[in-house]
Amino acid sequence: MELLTALGIGLLFGVALYQMLQRNVIRSAIGVILLGSAINLFLLAAGSTNGVVPAYSTFTDTQADALPQALVLTAIVISMGGLAFIMSMLYIISVRYQTGDMDEVNGLRN
Amino acid sequence: MILATPILILLAAALLTWALRRQLPATVARGWLLALAPLSSFLLLLWQAGRLGEEPATWSANWIAGLNLQAVIYFDALAALFALLVTGIGTLIILYAGYYFAGDDKAARFFTYLFLFMAMMLGLVLAGDVVTLFIFWEGTSITSFLLVAYKTTSADARRGATKALLITGGGGIALLLGLLLLASLAGGTEFATILASGGAVRGSSLYLATLILVATGAFTKSAQTPAHIWLPEAMSAPTPASAFLHSATMVKAGIYLMARLNPALGQTEAWFWLLSIAGLLTMVTGAYLGTKQDDLKALLAYSTISQLGILMMLVGQDTEIAFKALIIGVVAHALYKSALFMGVGIIDHETGTRRLSRLGGLRRAMPLSFGLILVAGLSLAGLPPVFGFLAKETLLASAVHPTLPLLVSYLFVAAIVAAAALKVVLSGLLTVDTFTGPSRDETFAGHEAPVGMLLAPFVPALLSIALGVLPEPKAVAEFFGAAAAASFGAPVKVSFALWTGLNVQVTLSALAITLGGLLFWQRRPFIAWQHRLPSWSFNRAYEAGLAAIDRGAWIATRVQGGRLRVYLSVTVLAMLGLVLLLGGLVWPSPAATVNGLNGLRAEFDIIRLLALLAVVGAALATVVIKRDFFAVLALGAAGLGVAVYMAVEPAPDVALVQIVVDILATVILVLAIGRLPRRQREAAQRLNVGVQWRNLLVAVSGGLLVALMAYGALTSRPRPSLVTPFYSENAKPLTGASDIVGAIIVDFRALDTLIEIAVFSLAGLGVYTLLTHAARKHDDHGQAIDEQVPLPARPDAGFGIGGERASVYIRTVTNLLLPVALVIGAIHMLYGHDQPGDGFTAGVIISLAIGLKYVVFGFRETRRRLWWMRPRRFIASGILLVVINGSLAALLNGYFLAPVDYGALIGLPLPAGVKLSSGFLFEVAIALAVFGGVSLMLDTLGRPAVDVRALGQPAADADRPTTSLMTGD
Repeated sequence: MELLTALGIGLLFGVALYQMLQRNVIRSAIGVILLGSAINLFLLAAGSTNGVVPAYSTFTDTQADALPQALVLTAIVISMGGLAFIMSMLYIISVRYQTGDMDEVNGLRN
Repeated sequence: MILATPILILLAAALLTWALRRQLPATVARGWLLALAPLSSFLLLLWQAGRLGEEPATWSANWIAGLNLQAVIYFDALAALFALLVTGIGTLIILYAGYYFAGDDKAARFFTYLFLFMAMMLGLVLAGDVVTLFIFWEGTSITSFLLVAYKTTSADARRGATKALLITGGGGIALLLGLLLLASLAGGTEFATILASGGAVRGSSLYLATLILVATGAFTKSAQTPAHIWLPEAMSAPTPASAFLHSATMVKAGIYLMARLNPALGQTEAWFWLLSIAGLLTMVTGAYLGTKQDDLKALLAYSTISQLGILMMLVGQDTEIAFKALIIGVVAHALYKSALFMGVGIIDHETGTRRLSRLGGLRRAMPLSFGLILVAGLSLAGLPPVFGFLAKETLLASAVHPTLPLLVSYLFVAAIVAAAALKVVLSGLLTVDTFTGPSRDETFAGHEAPVGMLLAPFVPALLSIALGVLPEPKAVAEFFGAAAAASFGAPVKVSFALWTGLNVQVTLSALAITLGGLLFWQRRPFIAWQHRLPSWSFNRAYEAGLAAIDRGAWIATRVQGGRLRVYLSVTVLAMLGLVLLLGGLVWPSPAATVNGLNGLRAEFDIIRLLALLAVVGAALATVVIKRDFFAVLALGAAGLGVAVYMAVEPAPDVALVQIVVDILATVILVLAIGRLPRRQREAAQRLNVGVQWRNLLVAVSGGLLVALMAYGALTSRPRPSLVTPFYSENAKPLTGASDIVGAIIVDFRALDTLIEIAVFSLAGLGVYTLLTHAARKHDDHGQAIDEQVPLPARPDAGFGIGGERASVYIRTVTNLLLPVALVIGAIHMLYGHDQPGDGFTAGVIISLAIGLKYVVFGFRETRRRLWWMRPRRFIASGILLVVINGSLAALLNGYFLAPVDYGALIGLPLPAGVKLSSGFLFEVAIALAVFGGVSLMLDTLGRPAVDVRALGQPAADADRPTTSLMTGD
């Protein structure tokens, strides 16, 4: 199962990168979210134990590692906030520059 | 502590000067007042120096205990001598600057910089530990940059300051390495340790590297050839700063350092040759270039370079007489050079020019200044009866080196005689050509400076005579001897007798003076000949170096061309390359892979597999699907797959949050799509084939890298963790929560969570600000110049998505959903410590119920129904609640955000399983802030998009941001 999980995470990461590299900003945003998911899964994989029961002190069996879970939990919420902010930025850019293509927004460069 | 006080006085003076910059009068009184600070430092140091016995006085304080770093002061005769020079001449400079800047009410900035510099310089010479020394060393580089660049509007000043900073700062890096090496060789960072372990240092195989690194630092700071090029350009500083930096302080730092470290690093062949050759070259270069100058200040700068070369050469010797010459030379130079700089400043101030070709015959208009420059000039030339004569005599005596081959010894003597002769010429140019003869340009006639202004330079000038003529002051001679001994490492006897009989040095001295006199007599042909010679400056090397760095920017501009997607590709590929290069990645061995495949059957987990398939499949679908709307839906499916995987992990809390956030993210993306015109998105969809292949390459390599890393992480568990057992064991007893994840969030790492909800709330506020304010046009001052677009009045208010009035069933369910969501949220918060779910989940669930209202009822109707919704107040109260809760806990339990069970504390009768604890209040606060943030996002993104461009036309479809969703996209 480890092999398949690792392949799944890698595949998800690759798809996320591919989407982020698109010119269409909606696709880039999709890529950012997928990247977040891939990284969250990776963080869970980095936990120290292969848990059988959730991390509750009422259970006596091997608990899942609570620490990466707590990290992932906050990461999920934060990335949502980031997504909303990115989308409103993109809207502003779309209105100002009349384009959904980041390569055309060159006014920022000069 | 008393040893650190002189530094603190100067720092306090800097602060006060800046704080009172508007109150300080712009008259000469300012200089007199401010001079009290360095004067009190000087007197304090003098008192301390008087009490100094054989042993150095030390003081140390813990600075950064965790790094075992200490602030140490090491006060012996050598440090005392330099410290007295810094503060003594510093006092005169401040006084002088008061006259120089009289009437300039902006000059408080100058005084502040000068005090800061003085404090750094004093710290440098008093430092008793290599780290302390280095901090002050860099401090002098930075503050001298500020002083040189004081006239910020002058391009010359900026260029000169940058050059000085680059050269001395570069040397500083070498010095840091050298000092750290030295400390590790000696087994301690304190000078007391280092100076006592010279044998160990010199015997080490790293000795040469240490010596070269330390010497590089000292050579750049003390302007040794070829690093001397920064010093003449630093003359663009205001004259008081130049007089201070280049007589007693900045440039002497390198000399001081080498003299200080001589007992540890010195007295070897390498030391001798390195310092002697550098010093010799510098001495001759400085003196030779000095006579070519037309600017009096530049002339002084080159004579300083020459003198620094002499001093560096002296440190390199290992004879008693050399260290006697060193100390006398340091003092003599500090005295006459500060007087000369201030004198030239007076000439500049009173006539308006410093050009030798314009001045002349000033003797009549400025008799006092003439006297001043004459005395100091005699000292520069090394003529009796001034102190400079003694300096040169001892120098010449030390040059006759006993152990060297005869020819090399002659070379030393010849170089010194030549430099001494050139200095006679320099002195003549300063005195004779400036003050006697006819005036060359009547427009620069000049008049005498105020007496107060002359007072400052006259003190060192008169001291020069006094030390030369007065009968030997015993205390001073002993003090100089002690300073020389501290540097030499053995006793040194210092006497001030000018006439010691007809010996070698007097003969050589007479030769140098005669030669110099002849040269000065024939100065016009000599200087003309100098100008005819081909000249090459190390400035060209410096400029070529800077140009090479500029050209190196070509690479950076290729890699960072402003295209974010290229940045991303470069980042991923570079990361891959680094991981492969550093070998941090262990490829799974074939055996392990076979085992993995076998294990596949053993613990085959059908739910996990399905979840993974769903995630990957949905992710691939987002690539394949052409329409953005459906791609977003596929993204939602991928997110739910992730949630299932997390639930099986088992991580129920995370899975819950993942579900609600995934739904919310989908809603936000859908709302956003409605605002981005389809035409724009489709135009951007097209990519050429080459780019697609490159993207594929980046994606595949990135994916492969992460897959390998994840495989490594997954196959290595279970493994011992240092932190996790602590959380598992202490969650229940400390916080009363059996949900360990929840305990970490609201208690163990509560501060993180506080910051997190603050960030989330800021994102919500950011969305609001961007969409309601930034979309409008603004003028240069940030004032909105177009009207905020009013919402168009429409008769069909209360209509939801698609402009259709939803059926009564949907409307009823939507209305009912909010109370239900509130109850679910409350349950999550109340029981979050024992069950899955927490404040995040609660906040997002309630927000989703509100989001549905926007969809069903439309923007205005929702706003009318939810009149009580004030997102910004929710955010504020959520964060306030955490802060109050945390502070209350600090009062009750000792530290911020400590766990407190308020319910048990006041004995509230609560139902079983419910606790009124700080953790619960934190959950409520999280829910409030998240709810506030999300509803702010929904409220602004759900606001009808008004096409600013279409303002003139009837805004027919303004309230239909998402009409095209179902039908068109």
